Amino acid sequence: MKSKIKALCITTMLSGMALSPLPATAQELLIGLATAQTGNLAPYDQPSLKGLEMAVEEINATGGIAGKFPIKLIIKDTRSDAAQTALAAQELIDQGVNIMITPCDADPSIAAGQITQAAQIPTFSFCATTPTMPIAVGDYMFGNYPADNVQAAVLANHAIEQGYKRAYILKSPDSAYTLKLPEYFATSFKAKGGEIVGEGTFSMGQQDFGAEVTKIKALNPAPDVIMTAAYEPDFPAFIRQLRSAGVDTPILGSDGIDSPTTFGLGKLVEGVVFTAAGFATEGSPLAKFNAKYKQRTGQEPDTNYIANGYDLGKVIEAAVTKADGIEPTAIRNAIASLEKVPGVTGPITYVGTQGMPLRSVALVRIKDGGRELVSQGVPAAADVPAP
Amino acid sequence: MDMFLQQLVNALSLGGTYALLALGLAVVFSIMGLINFAHGELMTAAGYGLIFSLLLGVPFALALPAAVVVAILLAVLMERVAFRSVRGASGTTLLLTSFAVSAIIRVLFQNFISARPMAVRIPMALSGTIEIAGLHLGIIQAISILVTIAMLVGLNLFLHRTVLGRAMRAAAEDFAIVRLMGIRANAVVATAFAISGLLAGVAGVLWVAQRGSVDPLMGFLPVLKAFIAAIIGGLGSLSGAVAGGFLLGFTEVFLQAFLPESLLSYRDAFAIILVIAVLLYAPQGLLARRTVVKL
Amino acid sequence: MLLSLNPLPEAILDVRGLKVAYGPVEALKGIDLSVRKGQIVTLLGANGAGKSSTLNAIVGLIGKKAGNILFKGRDVASLSPERIVRMGMTLTPEGRRIFPSLSVDEHLLLGGAAHSSRSSIREVREDMLERFPILRERLHQKAGSLSGGEQQMLAIARSMMSSPELLLMDEPSLGLAPQVVDLIFDLIIGLRDRGLTILLVEQNVSLSLEVADYGYVMANGRIVLSGTADELRNSTEVQGAYLGA
Repeated sequence: MKSKIKALCITTMLSGMALSPLPATAQELLIGLATAQTGNLAPYDQPSLKGLEMAVEEINATGGIAGKFPIKLIIKDTRSDAAQTALAAQELIDQGVNIMITPCDADPSIAAGQITQAAQIPTFSFCATTPTMPIAVGDYMFGNYPADNVQAAVLANHAIEQGYKRAYILKSPDSAYTLKLPEYFATSFKAKGGEIVGEGTFSMGQQDFGAEVTKIKALNPAPDVIMTAAYEPDFPAFIRQLRSAGVDTPILGSDGIDSPTTFGLGKLVEGVVFTAAGFATEGSPLAKFNAKYKQRTGQEPDTNYIANGYDLGKVIEAAVTKADGIEPTAIRNAIASLEKVPGVTGPITYVGTQGMPLRSVALVRIKDGGRELVSQGVPAAADVPAP
Repeated sequence: MDMFLQQLVNALSLGGTYALLALGLAVVFSIMGLINFAHGELMTAAGYGLIFSLLLGVPFALALPAAVVVAILLAVLMERVAFRSVRGASGTTLLLTSFAVSAIIRVLFQNFISARPMAVRIPMALSGTIEIAGLHLGIIQAISILVTIAMLVGLNLFLHRTVLGRAMRAAAEDFAIVRLMGIRANAVVATAFAISGLLAGVAGVLWVAQRGSVDPLMGFLPVLKAFIAAIIGGLGSLSGAVAGGFLLGFTEVFLQAFLPESLLSYRDAFAIILVIAVLLYAPQGLLARRTVVKL
Repeated sequence: MLLSLNPLPEAILDVRGLKVAYGPVEALKGIDLSVRKGQIVTLLGANGAGKSSTLNAIVGLIGKKAGNILFKGRDVASLSPERIVRMGMTLTPEGRRIFPSLSVDEHLLLGGAAHSSRSSIREVREDMLERFPILRERLHQKAGSLSGGEQQMLAIARSMMSSPELLLMDEPSLGLAPQVVDLIFDLIIGLRDRGLTILLVEQNVSLSLEVADYGYVMANGRIVLSGTADELRNSTEVQGAYLGA
């Protein structure tokens, strides 16, 4: 009994970490965060929040957006649960937030979006990549990350340029990202004359690819390239087992594998090409941001989600400046008309989109254990498969 | 045929890991009627043990046992702090306590270590392949099969040759009477937890070697599979847990290997249907055994 | 109440005001009894009178209780069964409660677990195998495959492996064939003759009064009668209630 009370105390303490609201001043921009501090989305939401907090700190140091709208973040933990996200969103609306931010996944974002759309509060998902997300919710919902179909188009273009003719795709029905990104790739690749010679499936977190690898090895004719949107822990397990079985087919991956674990695989991942939300070439804004982050926190920015969260701060700054006010609908209209906001990951455009921003995608090759930029830019609209 | 043999090896390797985990659950359940859902967190703890040992400059060969020791210590600590005070309580109380322990440990990992996966540098030598008669055997895969066999043999010897081992087998049948032999209940329960920690630690290290990273939530899925395996085998039956683990591993691998592409997405559904079929045929599990859980 | 006039050996067990409740139900409402060294003391009473509860409480298997249990002069009421067993008292439980999947030998080895040295375990085990030759024949069989009488002998031998000074026995003849019952009672006498003190709960009243030195009669969680075996055998209450006279 004693220990149960102890347990209860700890949980309450932890959930109490969400900041309690203070009354807003007239011109204070309230941003509500119904995002995950715990659970399976925390690895994405936590670094995104770190980046956003850094942007907010910088903006507030100059007296707020345009010098007159200081920002206040109200943070609620959703525990990576869609229902809890909707609940948190409702509470934040009740507290009068002007802008809402939802987790790095389409499902909870859509759940919260249903509420914010009705309340007419402009809403960003930190880093959900599903292109259909804003369409499912409505015109107050925005993305903040290169969409799956955009990443897939970049990968397919690269595959064609490399002269690959036969591709094998490995997907998982467990999430929209792991399922749709390879499918968008297949669409793009076939549209450009490529052939899909096989499709494999995996269960996320299963990390046993023995059976799948044995099948790939037996494929005749063998594929020229394997494309997957698997990420941790599946991607490292997959490539380790694939290479262990003696299959050295080139691999195309997506932004999910841009993590220290991937680079920790050493020779196994040499030559793997993947998409990324940004690439820090020397002297680039991203390199400067990373240096600044390290200086301020003492930690290496180990993921692009930090910069991506920071850029969301920049997008909000641009929108509120443009709206010249904090009225939610005015802010929404301003967001929808943003063009080439200078983010540290590259220019960000919302005008003419259905809510998912047009932003550049970097194509990165792993070389000698480091990153090598293959290309960077926004793919032609005609190459991007329909969501 | 080669393909079949290769898949057999794959099944053996996966089934072995499930067997170790299911066995860890069963050891504790057989003694105190507790399904410890925090078992997965023991795997995670072993993973972090490995990472932090390596960060402290411990050589890899020594970091492995250190990681397992971390899992054992956490298991014993769990028993002392959380489960001892509810010993003998109803199954529901025990189950809820274990859920709470699991949730608390996960949140502690997320907030005090890292919400992001942390990479473990596995030596390249372990990423190689052994070729035996045309079969490709990944070194990690081979190690995991060997370690599983060693653990099963070792545990079997412990249970049959030592006083504490015999006491554990006896306690699984009638705990009160074991106490009437002057054997300390706390020692038996702590040993059960230590063994479950050992099994989880070893499985955790094998699991981490395969994935190359540790993240705070990684224990959930394997423990769920282990739970299914233990149910198939008959909860509380040690040999049942091993059989259930291998059966589940074989089912998963062979479904993955031989289901047509269009049905592959339903692999887990098929696996679960098979489990249901087993339970319809033998509701207590394959190797069920009457268990007196009474302290 | 009847009083015994014999000069008495000292008490090895003294129970004072023992109370046990299962939730709101009071099973023992204040038991006083004592067991003197070298004697067989029997506890009689109808089903549900509280005999088994008394034994279980004395040996520590029921943790929550009130009152004092003095064993060799020390209050053991708050001790765990394993501590009590190590002090020299144990229980052969009702229904034998053997471990079906363990071998006969493993029962003996476990029974001796409280001994500090391997050699003393071996010694006691050898002694038990002398006393119970049938167990030597069945040494490597699983206990679950033994007959009822063999299981009862195993249960007694298992208890004896801890070399107790005081043995509590709960219904040792339950469910056994008449000739096996005689065997078990011969054994009980043999153990007493070796100096073991025994507190015996038995539904076979005439047999137990035959072997016992002293007896207590329980009803509804209380001791209602006590005396020497002879006194009890001749008392009208016992004759009417248990001996069918």
